[in-house]
Amino acid sequence: MTDVVSSDGLVAEGISLAFGGLQVLSDVSMILRPGVITGLIGPNGAGKTSLFNCLSGLYHGQRGHSSFAGASLKGLGPAQRAACGITRSFQNLAMCPDLSLLENVLVGLTLKRRSGWFSAFVPTPSQRLDQQEAERRAMAALNELGIASAAHDKPSDLPPGTLRLAEIARAIASEPKAILLDEPAAGLNAVETRDLTRALKRLMRPDLVLLVVEHDMDLIMELCEQIYVLNFGKMIASGTPAEIRAHPDVIRVYLGDDSDD
Amino acid sequence: MAVSDLAHVSKAGVPARAGHVDLARLSVLALVAALLLLPLLAGGFLLYSLSLCFANALAVLSVSMLVRYGGEVSIGHSFFVALGAYTVAIVEHRLGISIAVSLPLAALLGAGAGFVFAFPSRRLSGIYLAVATMALALALPEVLIGFEKFTGGFEGLYIAQDLIPGVSKALQHYYIALAVLVAVSLALAHFRKSAQGLALLMAQAQPRAAEAMGITRSWARVSIFTLSAALASLAGALTGFASSTVSPNSFTFFSGVFLLVGSVVSLNGLSLSAALVGGAFITLVPTYLAKAGDWVPVLYGVALVVVTLVANAGDLRRFLPRGRAR
Repeated sequence: MTDVVSSDGLVAEGISLAFGGLQVLSDVSMILRPGVITGLIGPNGAGKTSLFNCLSGLYHGQRGHSSFAGASLKGLGPAQRAACGITRSFQNLAMCPDLSLLENVLVGLTLKRRSGWFSAFVPTPSQRLDQQEAERRAMAALNELGIASAAHDKPSDLPPGTLRLAEIARAIASEPKAILLDEPAAGLNAVETRDLTRALKRLMRPDLVLLVVEHDMDLIMELCEQIYVLNFGKMIASGTPAEIRAHPDVIRVYLGDDSDD
Repeated sequence: MAVSDLAHVSKAGVPARAGHVDLARLSVLALVAALLLLPLLAGGFLLYSLSLCFANALAVLSVSMLVRYGGEVSIGHSFFVALGAYTVAIVEHRLGISIAVSLPLAALLGAGAGFVFAFPSRRLSGIYLAVATMALALALPEVLIGFEKFTGGFEGLYIAQDLIPGVSKALQHYYIALAVLVAVSLALAHFRKSAQGLALLMAQAQPRAAEAMGITRSWARVSIFTLSAALASLAGALTGFASSTVSPNSFTFFSGVFLLVGSVVSLNGLSLSAALVGGAFITLVPTYLAKAGDWVPVLYGVALVVVTLVANAGDLRRFLPRGRAR
């Protein structure tokens, strides 16, 4: 059964979200298919992060419905969605300063760890195996993003580019079914952004749902096969990069035509 | 330069750091060896004070653990310490069993009580949680006196049973307290690297990110408080054992505050040496400055201010005129 529905990916239908009297999202729908890098763009304040937070379970829309691999996500918070295999990154680098880069990535594997409370205090053979296996997976994730050499450094000693990649390493370490990236290129220079684009393309797999939220048009156009454009809480366009580039509403939004309002 | 190349830049300091760690490990071993040999030289009162100091060091660790892994402050940990101490006393009086049984039992009961307290207060943090723990500390003397039948009321109870028959009481108290303290600090060092330890640190530093990795805030708060209370209760059991007596006088509201003082003085450290500094401060200062009497809390207050100022010396620069800020 799972095989049939897993092709549905992550689906959001008719999401509406308001904070008090402020309508942030109105009737927004989106389909994130496995094997396709999906982009979500829009000007500042368009509601990108709000929609993103609805998908990751931080916010719950007043109306609408979301499902993952055919199963409803209604009422599930971030931790429960993580247990469903949906992970996310954060716009502001969410690293724990006391932990090394490797340990920060290890935390991403928490749900996969099998050691109990006893072995948290007393070394046991099974705990050692679990630890080695987790470290192997975390190192593999760091390797995949090309930052394994920084594994034992503290986040405060590392440039933002490395930390961004580490966030992604943490997200992929647990081998999730869906990865949601919130502005992964924020604060990166051109070289770092290029490295990031390559890394993201490399980690794409046929069964993986990958959403990238960005306002960097160039990055999205280069990276994504399917793009959604959000403006003032409404989905104004969706399609391939070529379609989006030619879409009159998108041009109007991005060229800042005031006569529309 | 690629992102991956940038990562190499900060690698220079690593070998020096590794050497530093070995030196630290050696000095801890030397400290433990010295403490093991001390009873050959010292006698009576010093051994007694040091046994209490070890027990208090464990209680300080329980508070530091809550600060480090939970980011929370408790001023009512004396409640859990008392629970442990009275467990030992009551088990001996009612069942005639030594600490071989009551020590682990105290830790379990402490965990239970910690959970019962933490679960309803799992949405409290910061000053609100601290005030809630204060309620525990304030209620404690009344509870102890109210359940006179079990607790011996004002007079308290004596703890007389030995763990190892034939060995002098002073040596037993000293070595058992030391052994538990060393074992707990080793366990805490192991915990720092465990899945649960990492998860708790992440939940404290980045609660939202932790949530996205399946670590909920309620889980983190309830677990760390339960662990911390279990450790406090274990410390209490040893305090009772080492001092051979329990009474409501030993567990006033101020003893909870003093544990926090000990934790701050040891910079909330979880190592053996940090715990000993905190334990020694709250045990030996009142013992050896007994004549100072009412001045002890004042001294504590001064010490708190000094430690806080020194520890945050970096942050103090912002009070300087702007030109000298760096």
